[in-house]
Amino acid sequence: MAQISVQNLSKSFLVPHQRRTTLKDSFVDFLGAGLWRRPVQEQFFALNDVNLEIGAGEFVGIIGPNGSGKSTLLKILAGIYRPNAGQVNLRGSVAPLLELGIGFQQDLSARDNIYINAALLGLPASQTRRLLPEIVEFAEIGHFLDLKIKNYSSGMRQRLAFAIAAHLDADIYLCDEVFAVGDESFQQKCLAVFRRWRDSGKTILLVSHNTGQIADLCDRALLIDRGQLLADGPATAVVELYHQTLSATR
Amino acid sequence: MPQTNTSLVRNLQIISQLVRGEFKLRYKSSLLGYFWTLFKPLMLFGVIYLVFSVFLRSPMQNYAVYLLLGIVLWTFFTEATMTGMNSLTGKRELITKIYFPRQTLVYAATLSSLITLLLNLLIFAVFYFGAGLLPGWASLLFLPYLLLLLLFTTGISLILASLYARFHDLSHIWEVILQILFWITPIVYDLSFVPEQFRAWLYLNPMTQFISFSRRIFLIDQVPSLKQHAVLLAVSLGVFAIGYWFFKKTEYKVAEMI
Repeated sequence: MAQISVQNLSKSFLVPHQRRTTLKDSFVDFLGAGLWRRPVQEQFFALNDVNLEIGAGEFVGIIGPNGSGKSTLLKILAGIYRPNAGQVNLRGSVAPLLELGIGFQQDLSARDNIYINAALLGLPASQTRRLLPEIVEFAEIGHFLDLKIKNYSSGMRQRLAFAIAAHLDADIYLCDEVFAVGDESFQQKCLAVFRRWRDSGKTILLVSHNTGQIADLCDRALLIDRGQLLADGPATAVVELYHQTLSATR
Repeated sequence: MPQTNTSLVRNLQIISQLVRGEFKLRYKSSLLGYFWTLFKPLMLFGVIYLVFSVFLRSPMQNYAVYLLLGIVLWTFFTEATMTGMNSLTGKRELITKIYFPRQTLVYAATLSSLITLLLNLLIFAVFYFGAGLLPGWASLLFLPYLLLLLLFTTGISLILASLYARFHDLSHIWEVILQILFWITPIVYDLSFVPEQFRAWLYLNPMTQFISFSRRIFLIDQVPSLKQHAVLLAVSLGVFAIGYWFFKKTEYKVAEMI
């Protein structure tokens, strides 16, 4: 059985300026709907009828232009968004690495954030305490451990976020742009973690704009554009196709 | 998909870490830390005592102890519901990045306020024993009262948090409601001052029951009737159940709304 299976998945959002955020708007809309007009609600499909099966141990890259729905797909798989239609089934535990380094509380120290994040990701405090030295060393934050996160640079934050995730023992890793920041030596470390995951049979989904890396690392790649799954196949072939469509539209 | 294997143990771990974080946020970054927690209700107490006991010459015995107990419990209710209401929007960064049971954020907020309440109760104890009072057996009921108060407050917070993610003016509305409730809950006065025909209305507010029952057990060593306890139990459990149901029903939209 597949580790991840997605059937006829659709996700739409209402265009923000029509969202009701105050009671007054809601009240006006309510009156409006009843009395003279229905509120216009424009639907934007971030994902449209996506079908997907991913087996255990596959390393799948996801590519596509900005705003194509890649991150939305990962967020749905991570359980953060609920789809409007379709079925999503995941077997096993999930470690989400979405928009790295943003899921921290600014006014708390790195140490406190490590404990909180680890707990949210399902790690008991005793285990976090044991892993703490490793996480700190991996993130190279040494004596900044008790500094508040708001004083961290974006690179440090990302290193820390990745370090926490790297020490999670999950079945499925959902990674969104994990290579965006971080110097070259840190990127090497990240790559080593990805190889370790792959070699130990973990299932990995990696969203990246670095198509070279996708072709290098992944066995399989998905090309998503405007909410639709355009291609699904061997990584090098899909990356090739993506480059062709890019140059064709240019 | 939300993971279904979110066991109670995992949730408790999350809540415990969140409470720790909340504790540090609240008290490590301010100069005098817990002093402020104790100072705020005491300040309110001091002013009201001055007005009602000295200016208006309230004839009540042990008015200071009486008033302080009401204020301490009321402060818990306001603080817990306000922080509970903000608990989702304040943790936006966590909610949009990781899936975890969202209600843990609300529980952590009310539990943080409970810590404050326990510290404020220490001050109350100083006043209580200072006034030469000694607790009777009935005072043991205070523990179940606290538990029910926690349940009731959490239920209200769950509803507020879920609504606040959608309607941001709720914080202003709730502040006004709290101000009104402060005066129609017997905090600065005793229920016996209220004309007969209004008393039943005041009892519609569960805070009236929490405060007046607590005063009875501590000050006159009198146990409220079984029927009154049954009502309190039913209201607390009912409000929590409604809050939980409402929150669960709307939980999935939270990440998109806030």
